[in-house]
Amino acid sequence: MLRWTLKTLWLQRTGTLASAGGVAGAFLMVLLLEAVFLGESTQMVSYIEHTSPDVWVMQHGVSNMHMATSFVWDWKEDEVAKMSGVESVSSILYVNTVVRAGERDWFAYVVGLQSGDARSGPWDMAAGSPVPEPGEIVLPEMFSRAVGIQIGDTATIADTRFSVVGLSKETFSMTNSVAFVNFVDLEKVLSVGATVSYMLVDASPGEAAEALADRIETEIDKVSALTQQEFITSDFEMAMKMGVEIIFFMTIIGSMLAVVIIAFTTFVQVSRRFHELAVVKALGVQNRAIYGSVVLQSVFVTSLGYVLAISAAVGAMPLIAALVPEVIFLVSPMALARMGAIALAVSVLAALVPARLVAGVDPVSAFKA
Amino acid sequence: MFRLALRQFQFDLLRSSLTMAAIAAVIAVILVLRGFETGLYEQSRAAVLDRGADLFVAQTGVTNFVAVRSSLHQLARREVEAIEGVVEAHPVTSFSVIYQNGGQKVPVYILVYDIRGGPANLLAGHMPATAREVVVDRSLAHKFDLALGDPLVISAFEFRVSGVAADSAAFFMPFVFITYDGMLDFVMKSDIAPDLSAFPLVSHLLVELEPDVKADDVAVVIESVVDNVDVYLPKQMALQDVQMGQGLFGPVMGLLVSVAYVVGLLVVGLIVYADVRGRMRMFGVLKALGFRLSHLTSSVMIQTLMYLVAAFPLGTLLGWIVATLIEFVAPLYRVPIVDADGLAQTFFAGIFFAVLGGMVPLRLIATIDPIVAFRGN
Repeated sequence: MLRWTLKTLWLQRTGTLASAGGVAGAFLMVLLLEAVFLGESTQMVSYIEHTSPDVWVMQHGVSNMHMATSFVWDWKEDEVAKMSGVESVSSILYVNTVVRAGERDWFAYVVGLQSGDARSGPWDMAAGSPVPEPGEIVLPEMFSRAVGIQIGDTATIADTRFSVVGLSKETFSMTNSVAFVNFVDLEKVLSVGATVSYMLVDASPGEAAEALADRIETEIDKVSALTQQEFITSDFEMAMKMGVEIIFFMTIIGSMLAVVIIAFTTFVQVSRRFHELAVVKALGVQNRAIYGSVVLQSVFVTSLGYVLAISAAVGAMPLIAALVPEVIFLVSPMALARMGAIALAVSVLAALVPARLVAGVDPVSAFKA
Repeated sequence: MFRLALRQFQFDLLRSSLTMAAIAAVIAVILVLRGFETGLYEQSRAAVLDRGADLFVAQTGVTNFVAVRSSLHQLARREVEAIEGVVEAHPVTSFSVIYQNGGQKVPVYILVYDIRGGPANLLAGHMPATAREVVVDRSLAHKFDLALGDPLVISAFEFRVSGVAADSAAFFMPFVFITYDGMLDFVMKSDIAPDLSAFPLVSHLLVELEPDVKADDVAVVIESVVDNVDVYLPKQMALQDVQMGQGLFGPVMGLLVSVAYVVGLLVVGLIVYADVRGRMRMFGVLKALGFRLSHLTSSVMIQTLMYLVAAFPLGTLLGWIVATLIEFVAPLYRVPIVDADGLAQTFFAGIFFAVLGGMVPLRLIATIDPIVAFRGN
């Protein structure tokens, strides 16, 4: 039966390929959506990852940067700096808001850097200065390309105008770009004084980050202190959870579509070989073997679709990135494995309709004209 | 040719049903994806229009209402209310915070209002009557199983849920409505900020105008009289928020919808191709009878369009079921399926697929030898 199955598929290779293409498209939609969420979530913690202090200190009860608000009195920075086990502290102001440049609004993390604080600023520059002085702003290079602005042009946050002095790399994403301004300017934008949003604390050599975070929370009133890894995990997990429901529904929809496509293809292939099947049955081949053949066809088409989807997802990434530079895609092995398991279930489910058809084939029909 | 196509359509009902199911599934996927994108923008639009303002006053340079920081100076309200034609300028402010409960965290958008600007679609309960009461969007109530009277703890400050509202979310964030009294208590007694200055007390003014006053004219007067403000009509502000959403989500949704269209094209092409392959003998007979290629092509096209016309309501129904299910399980999202533009675009895209898909087997039909009509199965 294996040979017969493969022969059938080969004889109808155009239909098989088209069907696999349809299945691949259905799977690709799911993979792309998950890749977008993974890419965005990864990019969301890019700033935290690259600045990489040992401990992050923020307002009590806050454990995120994404969409969070944190304000801590600035004298607490001095208190933290005086603690044993602390090598250095730098602090930033931070707000989620809209940056306007080149007649376009873009939602961004805006980070206020102390003058000369290169440690908390952009880690890779495409052009210009990484540390903005008052009246200056550093924008993601991708953003500048998207809106057609260059160094020396103007960007605004609310009614405050900034001169673009630097273009940073790896700081752009669809929903979480990072812009850097001077601390003093952001104080004015936020109408706050004597406060910071986050402290980036570096531990002395030999000082464990977990222990230092615990001591900071104990000794400094109303602050939360998280190790670098805890902070990254906290933001990353929240971002991914925001997309879980959408990914779930897209997986269901994509899988349903794949089931229908495969069921259709296998059905057509089986129905075209009705006479052949009758002969096979008349020759004594059991229904079980024919069902196996139907399932095999289904598995083959699904597997081909799955491979095509992965190839398209991985292989076409550079093309997609060029076409849609605003979106960051990341395909995880876990997502591929999950899709593989779903594909297997899909193929078995899709074989049910044609299998019913096979069961109804009468061997006597083999002897009819 | 129409009759021939109709006969073929009726001949094998199981096959026709499966074909329609495949096309309907593609239509449903496209409609759901489009609906998801439309829903994102509708939420942004509703977040502005549901505030009940005749005009929006924002800080100079601020063109949006949601997810943006705007801060109006203390005298702005009084100055706006002094202008002829203005009944009242209702202050609102907003900020996002992270709500944590049972190991889950979500960003929520706190909208602070005085009289106007609160929840527009109250599903249950009542508007906040005390500083501790809040109205939450139903998606938040659903996700965290919050009922009326339940505590809602944000930054160690305990509110009580007094009401649940529908359609109060934007940019993946459910809204939480509190009063100004609530905000003062919240900021003073919680860990949310060191002091009141951390948040703008007034981010926007919702201007209520006298009847028969031209909003455009008043907007011009406000901008000329009050320093450091920009004034927008609600529709204009809503459009700007929608445009921001399109800038954020447009590329990725566009990509997904494009992939869905490609899948649609493949499926319709596959169906037509399989159909022609399955009827080679019949086409051979028709050729032997003297039918021209154009006749046979018309027959294929008509049948494909028949499938499409029959599958479209089914696909719309399927899409509506999926969308309703999504909104039920995750009420944070709105997935409007039935909008004239979306349906029309999807239908015409389907016709395009049908025509393009119908071209796939043309070569096959052209090369059919009439002799096959005289061969056995």
